Amino acid sequence: MSKRVLAVDDDPDIIMFVKTVLEENGYIPLIARNGETGLSIARDEGPDLIILDVLMPKQSGIRMYRELKSDETLKGVPVIILSGIARRTFLRSQEALTEFGDQPVPEPELYMEKPVEPAELAEAVKDLIDRS
Amino acid sequence: MVVALALWDNIMDMNKILLIDDEEDSLDILSLSLKSEGYDVIAAASGEEGLDAFERESPPIVLTDLNMPGMDGIDVLKRVKNSNPDTEVIVITGHGDMDSAIDALRYGASDFINKPVREEALQLALKRAKEKLVIGEKLRAYTTDLENMCHIAIGEIKRKSDFQDKLITSSNDGIVATDENGRIIIFNPGAEAIFGVPRIEVVRKLDFTQLFPPEIAEVFSLMFSRGRDMRDVGWKDVMIHGRGGDDVPARFSGTLLHDSEDIIGSVGFFQDLREIKRLEGELVKSERLAAIGQTVARLAHYIKNILAGLKGGTYVVNIGLDKNDTDKLRTGWHMVERNVGRISYLVADLLAYSRERDPEYRNCLPNDIVEDVCELLDGMAMENQIKVERDFDPSIKEVSMDPDMVHRVLLNLVSNAVDACISDFDEKKQHNVRVGARLEDDNVIRFEVADNGCGMNEKVKSKIFSAFFSTKGGRGTGLGLLVVQKLVQEQNGSIEILSEPGEGSVFIVRLPYEKVE
Repeated sequence: MSKRVLAVDDDPDIIMFVKTVLEENGYIPLIARNGETGLSIARDEGPDLIILDVLMPKQSGIRMYRELKSDETLKGVPVIILSGIARRTFLRSQEALTEFGDQPVPEPELYMEKPVEPAELAEAVKDLIDRS
Repeated sequence: MVVALALWDNIMDMNKILLIDDEEDSLDILSLSLKSEGYDVIAAASGEEGLDAFERESPPIVLTDLNMPGMDGIDVLKRVKNSNPDTEVIVITGHGDMDSAIDALRYGASDFINKPVREEALQLALKRAKEKLVIGEKLRAYTTDLENMCHIAIGEIKRKSDFQDKLITSSNDGIVATDENGRIIIFNPGAEAIFGVPRIEVVRKLDFTQLFPPEIAEVFSLMFSRGRDMRDVGWKDVMIHGRGGDDVPARFSGTLLHDSEDIIGSVGFFQDLREIKRLEGELVKSERLAAIGQTVARLAHYIKNILAGLKGGTYVVNIGLDKNDTDKLRTGWHMVERNVGRISYLVADLLAYSRERDPEYRNCLPNDIVEDVCELLDGMAMENQIKVERDFDPSIKEVSMDPDMVHRVLLNLVSNAVDACISDFDEKKQHNVRVGARLEDDNVIRFEVADNGCGMNEKVKSKIFSAFFSTKGGRGTGLGLLVVQKLVQEQNGSIEILSEPGEGSVFIVRLPYEKVE
């Protein structure tokens, strides 16, 4: 049975791109346009992998990532952060939240900076799903 | 205290009297009489003996007969006065010998009494002598006191003057003082550094008109001629053309020095601004670099997003071509087009933001401009089930405005309104954007862009005109409203914002126009 991958991004072009890459490589894409919807889809559907943007209106990727990694049933789902912001900026923001009293969360399984090559993304998705 | 005690000692001693008379009877009687009055009497039978006793005992009062063989009374008087001028000498003259008495007074006798000596006359003379002694003693004490105080005061003045000298010498500021004629009399090392001239070439050689920059010299001359009406010049930035050819920026203040009404000189203070200017320059440079760094980082991020969109689009187009899938082709091509559009907007915003541009007034139809903006955004709005409603006042005719600016302003506002609706996830709402144009009095058109999207909280509202602030994640440049504000200001218009989180926002822009003849 095909694996399901949840893509969360507010940019319709990125969503279309990721959706096409996933379809072309035989996965079933699930789509969310913000962190809030993303989280509820993740809880309802239990995807095999999540591709997450960082800067989004409403609930941001930073917050959603913490929720995912603190959720007993979801924390095992591998996450690819796909963002325009640099990896260390994202990690620093996570550290800052930890310093403000949140539980520490592990680093994401993979961090990819936009723009990303389709083949690169497809390979990363395959790798992570095969590994889990 | 010491002075007072010394005085007291002398008063105690004042009872000591040297009595000189060659007539033995007279000497005895007077001696007895004085002793009975409580005096400590030293009796001497001749001038010579008397002087010896005087040197030995230093009595404050001497009572001497004038007419004596050998050393007479006048000699005694002279020598006593020579030895101690403070001694009170009373002379005893023969009856009717007024000439000798006058002589004696001339040589410093304090009094004279006639022979035969009457008790009352003697007592009176002694009393006066003692009073004079006391006064003399007091005077001496006061004089000593005064001298001491004078000494202390001079010391203090010297200390203060030394201190002020050091102060002037070690001041970093240039201090230039002149006398009442404008001749320079003080020129400290700070001034040497600023003017690039050694002190020795200036002090008592130049007057201020030969040294100060012309604008300062002029004000100073005016101060000198006007006197009391104009006494000082506040801080003023000037450029000093130094002797070495350097231009030294300095801050100047100056004042006339007065002694009550008279001008006694002037002083000018020059603050060397070279270091301050250098630091200011460095600060401006580093702030500029920081701002550029921030701008570049933010832009790079935004461009990366556009690039991602373009890459995604070409990828989808390629898939469509490979599979002959027209749907994919159309979708991919649409992505490419949209991102090309984003780059165009970005470039236009950047140019509008960075360029100084005067409005270019042309005849135009405002309603057509607004309609054009709405049509540009209809597509995106429809894709997201958002209605763009038009509400244009048909009485708006052709006017003279800057149509390009109006277009940019409204395009930014309407596309923000559409974004606000897209960002609102309230499923129950029918999202719409209302774009209005109305004529107002005083040749003003009121444009209104209202949406019922996500709205803004106070925090967001306070930041919307900050560069690179965006709530749109990767899709906003953070320049749009900044550009709107800049353009509206350039056209002497105004902007008003109403917004409630969850309710929506209203942007009202008022722009003046010229009537078309």
